[in-house]
Formats: sequence, structure tokens, C-alpha cells
Amino acid sequence: MPRASATTTKRPTPAQLAPLATRQVAAAPLLPQPQLERLLAVAMERGADFAEVYVERGLLTAVVLEEGRIKSAQTGLTQGVGVRVISGAKVGYAYSDDLEEAALLRTARTAAMIAQGGGSEQSYKVSRTPAPSYYKVPTPLADIDVARKAELVLRADKAARGFDKRITQVNGSYADVTKRIAVGNTLGHYTEDTQDLCRLSVQVVAEGKNKERRTGFYGGGGRVSFSHFDTFTPESVGREAARQAIATLGAAECQAGPQTVVLAPGWSGILLHEAVGHGLEADFIRKGTSLFAGKVGQKVASDLVTVIDDGTVANSRGSINVDDEGVAGERKVLIEKGVLKGYMYDSFNAKLMGQRSTGSGRRESFKHMPLPRMTNTYLAPGDHHPEDIIKEVKRGLYCAHFGGGQVDITNGNFVFEVSEAYQIEDGKLGRPVKNAILIGVGPEALKNVSRVGCDPMPDPGLGTCGKDGQSVPVGVGLPTLRIDNMTVGGTKVA
Amino acid sequence: MNNYEQIAKKIVQRAKKKGAKQAEAFLEVGRQSSCRVREGEIEDLTEATSKGVGLRVITKDNRLGFSYTSDFDPASVDTFVDMALRLAQTAAPNKLNGLPTAKELGEPSETGELFDPKVAELPGDWKIKTALEMEKAGKAVDARITTFNSVGAGDYVAEVYVASSEGLSAGFAGTYVYLFASPVAAANDQLQTSYWMDYKRFLGDLDSPEQVGREAARRAVRMLGAKRVKSQQVPVIFDPMMASSFVGSIAAAADGNAIYKKSSIFVSKLGKKLAPEHVTVVDDGLLKRGLGTAPFDGEGVATRRTPLLEKGVLRSYLYDAFTARKAKAKTTGNAARGYNSLPHIGTNNLYLEPGTKPPEELIREVKSGFYVTAMLGRGADPVTGEYSRGANGLWIENGELAYPVQEVTVAGNLLQMLQDMDGIGSDLQFRGSSGAPTIRFKQLTVSGD
Repeated sequence: MPRASATTTKRPTPAQLAPLATRQVAAAPLLPQPQLERLLAVAMERGADFAEVYVERGLLTAVVLEEGRIKSAQTGLTQGVGVRVISGAKVGYAYSDDLEEAALLRTARTAAMIAQGGGSEQSYKVSRTPAPSYYKVPTPLADIDVARKAELVLRADKAARGFDKRITQVNGSYADVTKRIAVGNTLGHYTEDTQDLCRLSVQVVAEGKNKERRTGFYGGGGRVSFSHFDTFTPESVGREAARQAIATLGAAECQAGPQTVVLAPGWSGILLHEAVGHGLEADFIRKGTSLFAGKVGQKVASDLVTVIDDGTVANSRGSINVDDEGVAGERKVLIEKGVLKGYMYDSFNAKLMGQRSTGSGRRESFKHMPLPRMTNTYLAPGDHHPEDIIKEVKRGLYCAHFGGGQVDITNGNFVFEVSEAYQIEDGKLGRPVKNAILIGVGPEALKNVSRVGCDPMPDPGLGTCGKDGQSVPVGVGLPTLRIDNMTVGGTKVA
Repeated sequence: MNNYEQIAKKIVQRAKKKGAKQAEAFLEVGRQSSCRVREGEIEDLTEATSKGVGLRVITKDNRLGFSYTSDFDPASVDTFVDMALRLAQTAAPNKLNGLPTAKELGEPSETGELFDPKVAELPGDWKIKTALEMEKAGKAVDARITTFNSVGAGDYVAEVYVASSEGLSAGFAGTYVYLFASPVAAANDQLQTSYWMDYKRFLGDLDSPEQVGREAARRAVRMLGAKRVKSQQVPVIFDPMMASSFVGSIAAAADGNAIYKKSSIFVSKLGKKLAPEHVTVVDDGLLKRGLGTAPFDGEGVATRRTPLLEKGVLRSYLYDAFTARKAKAKTTGNAARGYNSLPHIGTNNLYLEPGTKPPEELIREVKSGFYVTAMLGRGADPVTGEYSRGANGLWIENGELAYPVQEVTVAGNLLQMLQDMDGIGSDLQFRGSSGAPTIRFKQLTVSGD
């Protein structure tokens, strides 16, 4: 089978650019070890319990397409050091993007201010802990010629426009980052990791009769080599975005009120991320602000529900060899057959709660303190056939594609935006409906899960999760799922 | 001329020397500090300085390149200039690419003072003391306030410099100070939370810590016992905080780039009456002491006051220089950006002008309806106008706030919602750079049982 042509364009691009990019990031080491140890000693000068130095250098590349052509190509270098000092339950944090010694020492002293003790003169030595390897990217993404990245976006644009003449707008973007991190702390641990991450995405507008406009969005990537796009082709991305927009032209108003809903597999995993994921993060649990606090061992979902958060999935967008505290990524069963098994811990909250870190301490950048966060959160498959799940529904809503979601972890209210949905009539998909949103309370919604498909599917690598103003890449996944009696937000009242 | 202004100019000069037709450097320097407290003790203290510069270049064949760095080491800066120029070769030539001309730039606007020495020189323990006062005041409101998600205070001093090959060289400094409180209330196995904040340029304009702590607690406690209601179509009132996010949806639909790309429900609606007489929405870059006030926008263009909706009529879209050129319009000084991004269209101080009715009266006129105080999810989709969000708040019965409601959604369409704005309160308030009074919609769909 001939594939769509994937030859690179012949526009001359400077051969120097790529190695230059790598030199910017890979200039090893991030911070000489003796200097890092000196910062730890200064951070402990006022007698704190613990200090940590986090170093980061990352190079971002992005290509943006509008109106059928590459609008701009961009690159950016981010580097800095964050120093965290812990004294009891108090945290001091300071960061600097100036790597001169004087600036770094000032940063360490600032963070140390949280501790009230007298001068301690101890020195600290760190030794390197080997990190596991869940994503191998032999050629860093920063080294790939930017012309090839531009070509991906151009191909996606062409495929989207070629899908149907009613596609009137295509916005495309490709972005990647090659980031190196190093973490050293007063426990003597030192870890390094190189994290590549990329995402190709396309947003389209279709115009139907009477100026009706619908949108479609699709994309993906992960901690993958650039060759990922040989199989996850830009054509498939462009066509899928276009398909969604065309499919929903002529959509009916959505019925408001409780319905049986069936969720398509994959990206629908946002539901789990919102409905239970955030509420199981240790900071909320320790502070007593999550409705899941104190519920370990209790039934919080139907027997069919097993939820896993796994930082070790090969090449997934949400995976981490080590978290941003230097702890190895883990696979954690959060809910097993409906029973709550445990929470996601970072080191700080774990210590205060007498637990161990589950490798969940993540931060957006050196400008932020680590927080307990999700990695790849998915639902274990069941044994129902997806076709049967739909066939059994007399009246309901099939949710095919999704926007985003949000949760109030305290009262457990979560929403989940459905960008492509169809009425189910007598076990068959009917007319598309627009402007649908699902709302529920975490545990109640999960207790109403009545069918779990045998078709587990990860999302294509789209997800970014926000918490306390910090964004981190995450993965989600779900097999086909049926939830009964779910409140659907719509505009039509029977 | 200070050091940063010189760095910005040097970068522009170097880009020109290396062959750029036009170049612009946008440089930001900041110093921030914040404190959160828990149970009468410090929870965390953060302090930092940060800086960065972004470079936009237009090549001789009209291609656009952009690079940014937070490393000001001269060798590193040279590399980043070279990278912007090289990357531009990947972009398509476009005759409309170009920096704002001297004529478009105008003279930086007269904004009045934006820098408060009192904020810049806040004593180290001010934030700790303030946060503790907020926590204490919040807890004192009701025994059912059990804890806080977070409660804290912070300040930020920022300087911006922008220089370009078109003769631009300008800068300004501003201060910011903020308080926030998010308490948790518990009763009968139910937890509820809320959020309240204030965010100002001047210390003297900031609400007191007691005010913020008390209001946050009052909002959380009144949600205890919240339940779902039946699905129905009723009048819906947004409190000022929710109203200001709705006004944000209006601005997003007026984004000139979305208009040009026919990706907004406001396409070809200029000059049309979209809302009742009493609806006036303004983006004002000159608002005295406003959080979003600045002498120039993200590409050095003088800011101004732009009415979007005037007495219900759509008067203007929002533009930056490039989009205005595409649309054969004029920039409105609405280029928003940080050093690490190209300009995109954003707002300065966005607000809905107040009406004459006290908010209590708007509620009193409703027989059965929904008063919304918190929402989940995004606002209106600017392309379709569809609006569908999770909502919490209080049910209105016979003109009174009767009982708390959660786990429902409100849905409608932006164009219909604009027409249905049948009541505007007199209680305009700014929380940050956007503001609104209480607003009432004649009818929205509430989804619940």
C-alpha cells in the first residue's frame, strides 16, 4: 500500500540549526554537582529539615499554520533553578533564571528564610540514582529540522481541506520541547532526565446551510520520536478534525436532564481525570478539602470500575521516568472493583501523612513547587462488546468526542464537555446533538457505571491538566463505557 | 536609558545587522513574592525574580520568525537572534507581515500612575500578617468553616520594555498586589468551597483582609445543603464575578482574528443592535489605576478606550496590527503577550457598564429562578455562540434567595443571551482586569433532575 508521500520539502534550511538547538539544551551538566551541593548547604543554613535543588533547561519549537500557510515558526529557551526548603509543614521556595553563582546563592538563602533555626554548617553530598527509561527518543525533537515539522502541519491542513469542501477554516500547530531536568536533595539523591514531548493539533471550522458553523478538533503526540508521525499521520489528524465538524452540521438541540450516556473509548478518559483523579491527590486529602478524604477501603464506584494512574506507559504524553522530585514513575491502582485503594502522593504530603511518595510530584517548571498530580489515568477494560453496549440502550446519548472538563474537588461536582454527540434511539445512533455537557458528582457518577467495554484505548496524546496555575502534560484512557442516569446539560426541556 | 532598554535596543540592532527587514524586542522583568498560611502558621513562602525577552523578526522576503530566551548572556542572546532569522525561513512569505508603523504606534498613552512604591516596598511580613488575618476573619464567620483550600497574599513588580526597528523604544513599570481565600465549609457529610479575591495595582485600593476572608466564607457556608433542581427554563442571574466571565465571552467573540477567519458569531454584525439599550461593554486601556492599564500594548501601540457594545449596538472588534492590516481595519491597541509568545488579541480592562437597579431588586423581580455564584467549564464557544456550563448558586423563590443548588448546568446561546439581558445591576465591581455588575437573563435552560 503506498502511503501518502512523506518527502521533505526542498526549501533550504540551515543545517546548523539542529545541532545548535541540541547544544543549547544538552550543554552538560545542567549544574555542576559541587555547585548544587553548595546550594543545598546554603539552603540548610537556618536548620531546616530538607532542601532540594531543581534545575531545568528546555528548548521549545513551534510552527503555527493559518489560512493554508505557515504563519510563523518559533523557538524559545527556558532555563532556571528552583530551591525548595522544608521545615516541618512550612515550605520556602525561591527560583532564579540567572545561573550566575551569586544569584543562585541568593536564591538558596531566600528559600532558607522559612526556617527559624540557628546556623548549621553541615555539607551535603549527592550521588546519582539511575532513572528508569519509559521513553526512548534517540534523536531529540529539538534536533529535527523545523522544515519537517512545518510539513506535518501543511499536510494536516491539506487533508482537512480535502475532506469536504464545506471546511472553511483550518488552524494547525505543531509544538515540541526537549527538556532536561536535574534534581538533587539533602537525602543525597541526585537524578537527571531528558524529556521530549510533542503535539500536532488541528482545529477546523465547517460551514453548512444558512451560515451554520461547527468546529472539529483533533491531534496527538507524546514522548515520542519524530517517526511517530509516520504512523500517526498528519492526514489522519486533519481528516478526523474535519470529520467531526462535518458530522455535527445540522445537529439538534440537546435534551436537558438525566439520560443514559455511552462514552466512546479514548479521549473520554477526561471523565475519570475529573470525576475521581483530582480528588485523589494527596494535598487535597491531607487538607481535608476533597470529598474522597478518609474513604480508603470504601466503595466509591460500581464493581466494574478499576482506575489506574500509570506514569510508566511507554512513550505516553503523561509518562515520567522520574517525577520532578526525582522519584521514579509508578503504576498505581487507585480504585479496584469499585473500592478506593489509595491516593497519589508527592514526597512532601507523603511525609506529613506517614506515607511514601508514589512518584506523583510534578511541576510545570522551575518557577513552581511540585504538587501531587496525575500521569496517565485510565480505566481497566471490562468484558462488554462496544456494539452490544450501544445496542442495549433504548434512549440515550452517545458521546463520541470531547472538549475539556473541570472539577470542584470539594463538593465533587465535575463537568465534561461533549463536542460530538448523537442521540441513541432503540440501540442505534441517530441525529447529532450540539452544545451537550455532562455534569455529575464523582462517586455518584462512578456508581452508575453499568457497562465497561473490552476495548481499552489511550487518548492520542492531547491532554494538558491545570491545577493551581500549573499545567502539566497528562494522558487519559477509557474503554467504551455506559453510565446510567447522568445529568446532561442542554438547551431543550421536554 | 537603563540597562534593559539598552539590551532590547541592542537585540534589534543585531537582528537588523544580520539581515532582518524589521525587528522588535519585547522584554519583561519581574519580581514576585507570595505567602500562603494554614491554621495560623505559614504554609509556604515564594520569592523570585524573573526575566525574558522575545524577538520578532520580519525578513526581507516578508517571512515571520520568533524566538525567546530567559538567558541574557551575550553569546546566548546572539544565538537566539540567529535562530529567529533562521526559523523565519520555514514560514510562508506574507506581504501583510510587518511591525506596527510609527503612525500605528502613536505616542504612548497618558495613563496616570501605575506604580505604587508602597507595593514595591512592602515589608516581608506584610503578606504573612495579611494572610493570617484573612484566615482568622473567614473562620470567625461560621463554625462550619473547617479549613481552607488556600488563603494567601502576594505582590508583583513588573517592568516591560519594547524596542523596534520602526523607531519604537518605550517602557513602563507597574505594581500588583493581591489577596485570595478559598475556604471549605462542612455539614452533614457535605463539603462546599468558594473563592474570593482582590487584585489591584495600589495598596490603598485593595479590599481589607477581613473583607476578603469574610466574603469567601459567606459564599462557602451558604452553599451547604446544596441540591439539584428539576430541568426547566427560568430567569437566571449571574453575580458580578460570574457576569465578568460572561463579558469575557463577548470579548472573545469580538476578537478581530476570529472575525477575519469567519470563526465568530459576531461576523458581519458590526453596527447591528445585539442587546438592549442598557448594555454597554468597554475595553479600556486607560482606566485610572486599572490592573490592565498600560501606556502601550504588547507591540508598543498606544492603548485606548474601545466600546465593543454601545447601548446594545456592536461598535468595534478588537485588533492588533497584523490582524487589522488583514481586515483593512485599524489596530485598537489590543495586542496581548508575554515575552515568550507572539502578540495575540486580548483585552486591557474589560467591563460592562453598570445599570441603575440594585442587585436585590433584580432578584426581587424574579418569581422562580436561579442566582449563579460559581461555574465550571468554559464560556461561550465563539464560533457557534453555544454556552453550556456547570453551575452552583441559590434558587430564587418569590423574589428571595431560597436554598443552595449544585450539580446543574445553565445553557443558552451567546446571541440570544445578549438579547435576553433584561436587567443590569448598579454594583459594578472589578476583580482583576475585568469587571461587571450583577446581570439578569430573561431565560436560560437549567439542566438537573
